[in-house]
Amino acid sequence: MGTNLGARRMTTVSSDDAAFEALFTAEYARVVGIANRVLADPHEAEDVAQEVFIDFRRLHSAAAGYAPAWLHRAAAHASLNRLRGARRRQRREIAQAMEEGDRTLDPQKQVEVSEDRRLVRAALSRLAPKPAAVLVLRASGLSYAEVAQALGIGIGQVGTLLRRAESALRKEVIRGTSN
Amino acid sequence: MAHLTEGTLRRMVDDPDVRIGMDKTHLEDCPECKARFQVVSDDAGSIATLLAVPEARVDVSSAFKRVMTAPAAQPRFGFRLPIARPGSRPMLLAFAAVLAAVALLVGVIARDLSLNYTPNTVTPVPVTVADMQALSQLADYGTLTWTKQPALQIVTSAADAAAVAGGLQPPVVSNLPKGVSTNITYAAMPQAQAVFTFSADKASAAAIQHGKSLPKLPAGMDGAKLTVTVGPAIGEIFGNLQKPTGSDASQLNLPQLIVGSSSAPSAISTQVTVKQMENYLLAMPGISAELKAAIKAIGDPSTTLPIPIPVQYATSTTVTIQGVKGVALGDNTGVGSAVIWEKKGVVYVVAGSIKQSDAINIANNLK
Repeated sequence: MGTNLGARRMTTVSSDDAAFEALFTAEYARVVGIANRVLADPHEAEDVAQEVFIDFRRLHSAAAGYAPAWLHRAAAHASLNRLRGARRRQRREIAQAMEEGDRTLDPQKQVEVSEDRRLVRAALSRLAPKPAAVLVLRASGLSYAEVAQALGIGIGQVGTLLRRAESALRKEVIRGTSN
Repeated sequence: MAHLTEGTLRRMVDDPDVRIGMDKTHLEDCPECKARFQVVSDDAGSIATLLAVPEARVDVSSAFKRVMTAPAAQPRFGFRLPIARPGSRPMLLAFAAVLAAVALLVGVIARDLSLNYTPNTVTPVPVTVADMQALSQLADYGTLTWTKQPALQIVTSAADAAAVAGGLQPPVVSNLPKGVSTNITYAAMPQAQAVFTFSADKASAAAIQHGKSLPKLPAGMDGAKLTVTVGPAIGEIFGNLQKPTGSDASQLNLPQLIVGSSSAPSAISTQVTVKQMENYLLAMPGISAELKAAIKAIGDPSTTLPIPIPVQYATSTTVTIQGVKGVALGDNTGVGSAVIWEKKGVVYVVAGSIKQSDAINIANNLK
């Protein structure tokens, strides 16, 4: 009896692991993509994505139907939370400027790109969590249905929220530029 | 026909397939909507450009290895999360909040140990897993003794629950959302009390064990006692609480709704100054800037109950419940939500796998 129970537990564990690996393979690049959209830093985006998966695995079953939606939402919120940390933002900007410096030949262009990106990220960090998440998830290529699932809203609301979020971001960017 | 909404126009930008039927005809025939469509489309284009980033190239297999070898976070406060199995998000959220609350009780309350801490309002503070781990290291800096052990009991009647909870009556839910079971199980806990005694010896031993990176315990704190009292508490669990069949705890049916109340926790201590404790806490490695800022922003720590919000899982908003300030935990996946508030010395919680608006509605009508 004890052996049977043990065997069953092991089967459950290994099938959980297999399901998690399948989920990871299917969603990792997308979760990194969402975080990268927010942070504009592939390395930090990978950190966030891995934290998200670690948290997910600790608390949830990879077989759960809501798994991708949970991951997408967590990626958006975790990276937006990071973006809001002022100290980290400064550090990232320095790293980013250096990275841009490696890639871009024209110094003037390099300054412009990094300044634009900084302004947009600063504006994004000032938006309320929901509009910020809508923008980021849609910009990361999620369909309207996926955005709706991730944020627990009706698919019919996505267009409206997205439109409002875009207006809000535009205002914030302008505010940031004029300050 | 009325003009097309901004939302409809926005979706039309992304998906030409939704340009069908009357909406399509209207868009073609209405100069005003056509002009608005152009504005919406231009905005969408410029935002897409603003948010453009170089693509991140990932190595999935090495990332997978890193995730699988990451050390599992273990609570270090002498207890483990019960039935911590997948699929129980609202439950786990509650457990995480409780865990963090205990850590914060040792931490934040101790900001003013000369005061008898009796909160009369709530405020959200963002807490990460790292914060919880960092704060829980405090457990190594002394000895935790339960002078009254927490003893949660599950009973089937409100009267039995009230008897266990020293006369505290279970809150009455007047408008249950559709689909929530009316099968109620009661949980009750008499008052529990713990005394934490700080020890300089234990602190230095812990510092050595942790690679000397932890801050040294201020001299005055050696022997300081922090007495924390929680409860009595009473709760109603809606839904069928069946025992798991077989060995897999994930088969446990999870409650759809939990409504609970508890006497506000109180704490009293000796020997240590506010400044010492605050400096000490904020020097703990691993404490996030967000949590530091939140702790500093608490105006009067002796009257404010910090509600730890696990930032990776939930966003919080401040709401007004029955005329007082409350904290709503919005779970945007729709998997769960919670509302916490405090009124007349009693802390209330409404939580479950329901919409946040339903939780707020229940909270406002709770008697």
